[in-house]
Amino acid sequence: MGPFSIEPFLRIHSETSVMNIQNSIANQASALARREWLVRAGMGFGSIALADLMGRDTKALGASPSDAPSNGPANESGVPSHGALNPTHHRPTAKRVIYLFMAGGPSQLETFDYKPLLNEKQGEPLPDSVRQGQRLTGMSGNQASLPLAGSIFPFAQHGQCGAWVSDLLPHTAKHVDEMAIIRSMTTEAINHDPAITFLQTGNQVSGRPSIGAWLNYGLGSDNENLPSFVVLITKGKVDQPLYSRLWGAGFLPARYQGVQFRSGKEPVLYLTNPAGIDGASRRKMLDRLQELHEVQAAQTHDPELSARIAQYEMAYRMQSSVPEVTDLTSESEATLERYGDQVKTPGTFAANCLLARRLAERNVKYIQLYHQGWDHHGGVPGGMRTQCKETDQPIGALLQDLKDRSMLDDTLVIWGGEFGRTNYSQGKLTADNYGRDHHPRCFSMWMAGGGIRGGMTYGETCPFGYNVVDNPVNVRDFHATLLHVLGIDHERFSAKFQGLDARLTGVDPAHVLDEILRA
Amino acid sequence: MPFPFLLDRIASPKSLSGQWLGCAAAVCIGIGLASKTSADDSSLQFNRDIRPILSDACFACHGPDKNSRQAELRLDDRNSAIEHGAIVAGDHASSSILDRILSDDPDLVMPPPKTGKKLSGEQIATLRKWIDSGAEYQSHWSFEPIPDQVASPTPSPDWARWVRSDIDRFALVGMQQHGLLPANEADPLKWLRRTRFDLTGLPPTIEEIREIMDDSSEISRERIVDRLLASDAYAERMANMWLDVARYADTFGYQSDVNMDVWPWRDWVIRSFAQNLPYDQFITWQLAGDLLPNATDDQRIATTFNRLHRQTNEGGSIEEEFRQVYIADRTVTAGTAFLGLTLECSRCHDHKYDPILQRDFYSLASFFADIDEHGLYSHFTRSTPTPALSLYTPEQKEEHQRLLQAIADAEAKWTAWNETEAKRDRSATTELLAEAPATPWAFPLEGSVPGVFGTATQFNGDDAVSFPLQRPNPADESKPIQYQLSRPEPFSISLWIRPAEHAPRVIILHQSVAAEDAAFRGAQLVLENGKPQFSLIHFWPGDAIRIEALQPIPIDTWSQIGVTYDGSSRANGIQLFVNGESVPVRVDRDQLSRDFRYLPEWGDSNANTVQLALGARFRDIGFRSGALDELKVFDQQLSLLEMASLFAQATPITSEAKEQLLAHVNETWDPMSLRSHPDGLAMQSELLSLRRKENDLVTQVRQIMAMKSAIKPRVTHILERGAYDAPRDAVVPRPLSRLIARSIPGVEPDQPIDRTMLAHWLTSPDHPLTSRVTVNRFWALFFGRGIVASLEDFGSQGMVPTHPELLDWLARDFTRNGWDVKRFCKQVVLSATYRQDSVHRNLEWDGIDPDNRWLARGPRHRLSAEQLRDAALASTGLLVPKIGGPSVMPYQPAGLWEESGTGKSYQQEKGEGLYRRSMYTFWRRTAPPPSMLAFDATSRETCTARRETTTTPLQALVLLNDPQYIEAARAVSETVLLAHPKDRSARWSELALRLIHRPLTPAETSILAREFEEQLDYFQSHGDSAKEFLSIGERAPNPSLDPIELAATTVLAETLICFDEFVMKR
Repeated sequence: MGPFSIEPFLRIHSETSVMNIQNSIANQASALARREWLVRAGMGFGSIALADLMGRDTKALGASPSDAPSNGPANESGVPSHGALNPTHHRPTAKRVIYLFMAGGPSQLETFDYKPLLNEKQGEPLPDSVRQGQRLTGMSGNQASLPLAGSIFPFAQHGQCGAWVSDLLPHTAKHVDEMAIIRSMTTEAINHDPAITFLQTGNQVSGRPSIGAWLNYGLGSDNENLPSFVVLITKGKVDQPLYSRLWGAGFLPARYQGVQFRSGKEPVLYLTNPAGIDGASRRKMLDRLQELHEVQAAQTHDPELSARIAQYEMAYRMQSSVPEVTDLTSESEATLERYGDQVKTPGTFAANCLLARRLAERNVKYIQLYHQGWDHHGGVPGGMRTQCKETDQPIGALLQDLKDRSMLDDTLVIWGGEFGRTNYSQGKLTADNYGRDHHPRCFSMWMAGGGIRGGMTYGETCPFGYNVVDNPVNVRDFHATLLHVLGIDHERFSAKFQGLDARLTGVDPAHVLDEILRA
Repeated sequence: MPFPFLLDRIASPKSLSGQWLGCAAAVCIGIGLASKTSADDSSLQFNRDIRPILSDACFACHGPDKNSRQAELRLDDRNSAIEHGAIVAGDHASSSILDRILSDDPDLVMPPPKTGKKLSGEQIATLRKWIDSGAEYQSHWSFEPIPDQVASPTPSPDWARWVRSDIDRFALVGMQQHGLLPANEADPLKWLRRTRFDLTGLPPTIEEIREIMDDSSEISRERIVDRLLASDAYAERMANMWLDVARYADTFGYQSDVNMDVWPWRDWVIRSFAQNLPYDQFITWQLAGDLLPNATDDQRIATTFNRLHRQTNEGGSIEEEFRQVYIADRTVTAGTAFLGLTLECSRCHDHKYDPILQRDFYSLASFFADIDEHGLYSHFTRSTPTPALSLYTPEQKEEHQRLLQAIADAEAKWTAWNETEAKRDRSATTELLAEAPATPWAFPLEGSVPGVFGTATQFNGDDAVSFPLQRPNPADESKPIQYQLSRPEPFSISLWIRPAEHAPRVIILHQSVAAEDAAFRGAQLVLENGKPQFSLIHFWPGDAIRIEALQPIPIDTWSQIGVTYDGSSRANGIQLFVNGESVPVRVDRDQLSRDFRYLPEWGDSNANTVQLALGARFRDIGFRSGALDELKVFDQQLSLLEMASLFAQATPITSEAKEQLLAHVNETWDPMSLRSHPDGLAMQSELLSLRRKENDLVTQVRQIMAMKSAIKPRVTHILERGAYDAPRDAVVPRPLSRLIARSIPGVEPDQPIDRTMLAHWLTSPDHPLTSRVTVNRFWALFFGRGIVASLEDFGSQGMVPTHPELLDWLARDFTRNGWDVKRFCKQVVLSATYRQDSVHRNLEWDGIDPDNRWLARGPRHRLSAEQLRDAALASTGLLVPKIGGPSVMPYQPAGLWEESGTGKSYQQEKGEGLYRRSMYTFWRRTAPPPSMLAFDATSRETCTARRETTTTPLQALVLLNDPQYIEAARAVSETVLLAHPKDRSARWSELALRLIHRPLTPAETSILAREFEEQLDYFQSHGDSAKEFLSIGERAPNPSLDPIELAATTVLAETLICFDEFVMKR
């Protein structure tokens, strides 16, 4: 239990509130003012973490903080958290995560995995010796031929480290010295739904908690006014769909699920007062509601009532804290310019990157961005140009912003999709156009900040860009590493599900990528 | 120490009052009970005290799974543990298990530090005592037989009068053993509200409140309960519970998440609860309704239960991979729903905690693998995935039967006439010998390679050549009519083909849009490793005909392939020809019941543009380097002679060969030779007309996915690590016989059995799990918690029952009384246990038993997502009590579906669809209704036996700001304003009666009165605010009421909706 846990609050509260409530009944006309009552109840709201008030299981079984995870003895260097895992297993190097999810499967061959051999062998069939009988999807698997296709975009080396990055990503390329580029990611799924579910929940089957839900459960919130797991989706991109399960709580209690912040008038569903009701009027109504609850508490003696009161207070506070954080108008012109023109259009990836920075500044623990549109079965050149234009500058700006604020050191930034793309063309290969099918055997991701060793590339694919030949990284390794930088030992962080101690990294072996961590 | 548990508790809190101590002592002395605790060594029970420790800490490596077993040690089996020396019965000092647990050496200590598990001192002491007392094992409690008779305990005389039923006897003993006593009886209004929600999911009506205030006698209560149990709302409430278990939703899930139209199954569930279908039948119908003798429509619809799992149509998915996922989902769901076991582990390996082998999983799975299904649903058509059940209206059914009979009669007539004609005259047929058949639609396929007739077209495997089919237009000869081959119409095809290789499923000719992505809808001629194969497919494989030649045709040589079809929808109505001769075939599928065309009325893509195409198909295997020549298509069934003569026209054929062939064919009697006979023509035309009518009718009939055993079910294999492409040993359908060692009466060990036998096994009154799991789930509906708290897991990692004897008594009572659900419910709500107030007799007991495990108070928990919304609608008079039908789309924030990127839009209702019960709300799996999710409803992607109950600020936002609740608040405000135009306090009273179902206390009245003044003041001083506020929702406000008063009252009503007593069941 963290220092700000609701549990002690409830205990203190229930002991003293009865007396207070009796007072209030005896003196109906002058019920104690709400805040005074709370102070006398033993604790002000100011010191209560939102994660705790995001709910308390009334009948939770299995996975819940009260049923503490078998996190084992903590290393002495662990730090306190506000979640079920307190203290952490070891000292974290990151306090928060911004995960830029490129949904649809961006091509590694047009971004970070430079394969000049493919240009040399342009149009030649994929050799069987390279394919090695591995399965293809039904989309290109029946093609009469599988012609190799090199990137139409040139690559150059960047930074002190000399990492190869395609010309499509000039802004990202400026930060390669802060990044560990992993070129040897592999996954097991070949279709979008299972693959993205795997990346986001550690399992291809639905029903498991998402990464953010795990962190929310384990580490709680460092901000009392905002959810600790926020989801931002680029507006208006129609491609491979996203599903609420990707930021869902799975078998964990629903309160650990991500809260989507949407662009527009109502950033969080149902946040806005009804038409005709202003803040003052709402405040009055909530005051009366609280009085009713105080009377009720006196009758039922149910400690749950204090959670009920807190629930409405937190909702009220979110009504101001959420619009405050989502309002980008207070940002300087210079900052806005850094993110590019689109930053002024709510819901764009640029606006979401800036919002992510603002959320990170307020210590939101896990910020998940989604940008759809990377599923280029055909038209790779045009598609990649558009996608990279939408994302590259904002990503560069986000990294620079974090650096300028000395936040990159304790913020883990992740970029990547759910799988890679084939080195051969799906459909016709022409001089200026080609497509690429799904390719789970290899893809690229990068991690930056938050204890990640910068200026390195990790892992290698074969010259054909088809198979991993050095330091393969599977999805579980990636999850283990992510948890590690947040102070969590993936093997000791679990919740009961179906009688098992379920973990984000599942039952198969997973390894922290020590080499990409800052010593 | 008679009350160690109790004293332990009361010794610590400083807040304890002396008054309470006295009270507790008096109570305990009064009962004079002998309390026992888990530390009491004389009464250690393996299942209660030892198994949970071993299971959690040891079984993963020393349990049933032989593959992960370490050091050859098995601790779940007494003999193994003793043989190994880990346990020496009666001597803990010699038992190596304790040495290892107590070891300081990190390499030796158990459990290994890496697991993060560590036994507590108390647990170690318990183990030690258990070993010393003989280390007796029990088989896991839930696998033990349910005793034939379960004696209910005799209550202590002081409390005998409290007891109303057997349930109470067990409950009382449980309380007393833990130093607790029953709470006071809840006042009748509380009982009414509780009962109303538990039995119907809806709040009490004003009339019911008055009724019980007038008369709360036993007779009155029983009358109310009987009335509630007879209501449709009861059936809806029970069905709602089952929807979570059955993972019922309105869409397929996965990425494109298309609608799946399974609501007729949901309506069947409601019907079955309304009719109080005995629960063993409820189970049997869902598992095996299709296999019951003379199965009714309802029995067949019930089996849709097994098809409610998610399905995908994502392009490029591997069909078998997902078929296996579906089968596993059915298996796991049945495991949770009926057996209360988590089977998922054993999909990949032997279960680590429960005695379920991987082999058991696949043996059970093979019951659910018996259907003719495809692992993908169709992207290009809206077909119901097979097997599909046609849902005829009674009129359609009658008409369909009539047409089928007429077709049978016409076919018989044609056959009889043929037989007569055949005997009479055979010479007429020879006239056709040398003639080309009539009206061929010829596509000469002139191309770049030498052909049979001139040049031929060579194919690259990726690019198709397509043609529109045309018929002459009698009205305008210059504008022929385009048409498609269809199910009721005869046709024939002839073409020349020269393959370059033999490979699987090489596409030659088709009338379709895609292969896998359309579930093969259409007509197709392929070469299956060189063998000509022809199919007519509505949805592969459950609604299709497929025949395949026994012999392959040669490569690099021209062969003529012919197909004729008589319009009968039967495999024997199709003939395959090679080089002019009908060839023997293997019939692969023979159940075509619906058209194989793409139809606009079904919502199919490309419905009007599908053409006949050659050599390639979207994402299919093309005719690589093969050549085709001289395609001819006929809109009639050619005779053998005609087909032979088409072959004979080819130049490569010698005239001698031609004559031999024609002479040979002429020896065979062929009814189609008489096609142009005037009588034959008339008969054929009548048959065609009837078949068209039947096809048109069937096209209008809605279908639903259901179970239907395939004629030759695929063999199920154990899949290594659950991988679809790693099949190992074949298995036969078999219940978990290793788990529960009991054979099925009359069935030999290796005799094949089907789903009816599975149902029979499950619903045997002596099955140790089914009835326990069932009554436990029902129990939780009332008490918010099961006797076994883990409703979903009765295995060794699940919770142990708080009242094992009560559970067994309930299970026996249930099966002995015909699995009568209504009787069960009535028994519970009239029990003294249920009638208790939700506040403990002694306030401090809340600390002792916060979860009410010992039932010393009435239930107290938040209403479910559905109950809350339904309560808002019902309490305010908005609820439209319509039963069943297609799902509806009430208020939902705009744009959610669009944002998820499936390209679908939420079409919010305008009228009654806004006010239906929440169980009818459209459930999109990838974007479920957010106001429901906020209150812990599930996405229905997988079977859920138990929902969490959380309290979050997002819930507050829903109640405060969702138009559904605001409109409801306004509606009820209008009612009370109209009823009490002058008397404000009467208004508040009625508001309270309607929303929280009890009179207000003076304190509450004064709070509301003050709030009303404040709100009046606000709306009076804020211009149009009242008007704006009242305009929320589709329903217009009552214009006769003063907007300011109405708005202020609405805020009051909202306050009560947000109030704890609206939200909670107490």
